[in-house]
Amino acid sequence: MPKVLIVDDEPHIRYLLELTIEELEADGVLLLTADNGETALEIIQAEKPEIVFLDVMMPKMSGFDVCNAVKSSPDLSDTYIVLLTAKGQEFDKQKGQDVGADIYMTKPFNPDDVLNKAREVLGL
Amino acid sequence: MAQITLGTLIRKKLFAPLAHRLVLALETPILIEDLAGEPLIATDGAIEGVRYPVIVQGDTIGWVQGNEKAELLASLLAYHSEREVERKNLGSETLHKYKEITLLYDMADKIPACMERSEIIAILTEQIRQAIRFSGLSVILLDKESGKLEVAASLGNEYALGTVIEPVGIMASVWASGKGEIINDVHADQRFVQRPYRVSSLMCAPLKSKESTVGIIEISSAEPTVYAAEDLKLFSTLASQAAVQMENSVLYLELKNAFYTMVYTLAETIEKRDPYTGNHTKRVMEYSLAVGRTIGMSEDELIRLELAAVLHDIGKIGVRDSVLLKQGKLTDDEFHQIMQHPELGGQILSRIPQLQDIIPGVVQHHERFDGKGYPEGMAGEQINLAARIIAIADTFDAMTTDRPYRRGFSFEEAFEEVRRNSGTQFDPKIVDAFFETDVMEAFFRASANLKLRAAPR
Ligand SMILES: [Fe+2]
Repeated sequence: MPKVLIVDDEPHIRYLLELTIEELEADGVLLLTADNGETALEIIQAEKPEIVFLDVMMPKMSGFDVCNAVKSSPDLSDTYIVLLTAKGQEFDKQKGQDVGADIYMTKPFNPDDVLNKAREVLGL
Repeated sequence: MAQITLGTLIRKKLFAPLAHRLVLALETPILIEDLAGEPLIATDGAIEGVRYPVIVQGDTIGWVQGNEKAELLASLLAYHSEREVERKNLGSETLHKYKEITLLYDMADKIPACMERSEIIAILTEQIRQAIRFSGLSVILLDKESGKLEVAASLGNEYALGTVIEPVGIMASVWASGKGEIINDVHADQRFVQRPYRVSSLMCAPLKSKESTVGIIEISSAEPTVYAAEDLKLFSTLASQAAVQMENSVLYLELKNAFYTMVYTLAETIEKRDPYTGNHTKRVMEYSLAVGRTIGMSEDELIRLELAAVLHDIGKIGVRDSVLLKQGKLTDDEFHQIMQHPELGGQILSRIPQLQDIIPGVVQHHERFDGKGYPEGMAGEQINLAARIIAIADTFDAMTTDRPYRRGFSFEEAFEEVRRNSGTQFDPKIVDAFFETDVMEAFFRASANLKLRAAPR
């Protein structure tokens, strides 16, 4: 069963992402969520989702840290990671590349873009 | 209305383990099936008893089979599903609003950089396409000179591009009132005038800035559809954002025009001091641009090259007539004075913030590829690219121009001269490019209009 993980510490963003991706549940996609970096990493290790929508700015363990940990562990490095960054917030593209993120999107995100990306990665 | 299947509900990450534990805790044979009869959860062993439907808003979405405990479970699942459907309905509303916000955000982000009307229209239509269903779209703009409304963009089955439209019917009302309208059933509207294409519903809004109405935008649907008041609100907001930007772009173009006119007038004024140069600046500009295109410069680079070529000798403004126009042999001191002109030019331009980028092209146009030029004695690709191009264009034109004291070279002789100085005075790569370039064409272009072009591209 294909899996999508959503990670954001802000509940309303998490909710909007859930609402967006929920459409894929009809295709048998399992939706997972986490509200912090540590939990996210545990879920990625246990569930091995195909794609992760990962907020950059989170307290304690940031999205960069999670991404770095995932991409540097051989059995998880295939995970497709979409970094989510707030518009206006100084985003270091170079840093995103350094930690191996596959792509980044800015918030407010366009729900269609998120859905299309998930479909593309999951081959739906 | 949101739909839900029992399968997706039961498979939900947090609900799945609960459902399984609940079934076990009931301690009786239970079978949960989806609508098609596919088992979702089943206890071991044979299952008998009644098949209780799980009903959500009047629709059966699955079955629970077993004894009376199964009925209870069916009710519980129905209740949970009902809540889930409500959540999804609220959610899709929220998501719709969020999407609108991102569209407006995106528009506000992209549009200030657009100075061409066509770009503004392209962004406007794209944003509308993402937000609202339609089968045809037209952007109709007022031509200020003729006072006519003309179709400036169209998608799908709407008016053809360039059609001049007399506003009639609904469009006339919108144009006159300046207020957008939704007509979900056009045939029931008395104002409707038959169109050359099929239309059932339409939405029309003015392209209105603070100052004036610059046009109208309309979307239509061949099949009957229901546009809501909220659609019109978004539609009108996007339209007015575009209208404001169109007005800004006109102001910008006027300023740009004024700036170019100043630059060219300045260059011409300097040229006029030396009547024998006759149109030299214009030719240097055309030759330089032609070479720039040959080597594949970008539009932005070409603009800078053009300005640098036009202004390359502007420093001569600081050289006295008695020296600049002297016909005899120059003294060392006079020669020294003339050699100041590239740097003088740089100093003049340094005061104009918008022209900072072109200073190297002006200051270095007398540098030589072998490092024997002035003022710095720079060599090779250290020398600014525009300057290396202008150096050839400038020298080539000086050679082919007649002077009172000598006849100019023929084009053939001048080309020969350029080739001979390749690698010493000139960059060999630019010399190659110069030979690939249709120099005659550039020459005729320069001669066709003896005044320097004062209009921006
Ligand atoms: Fe010069």
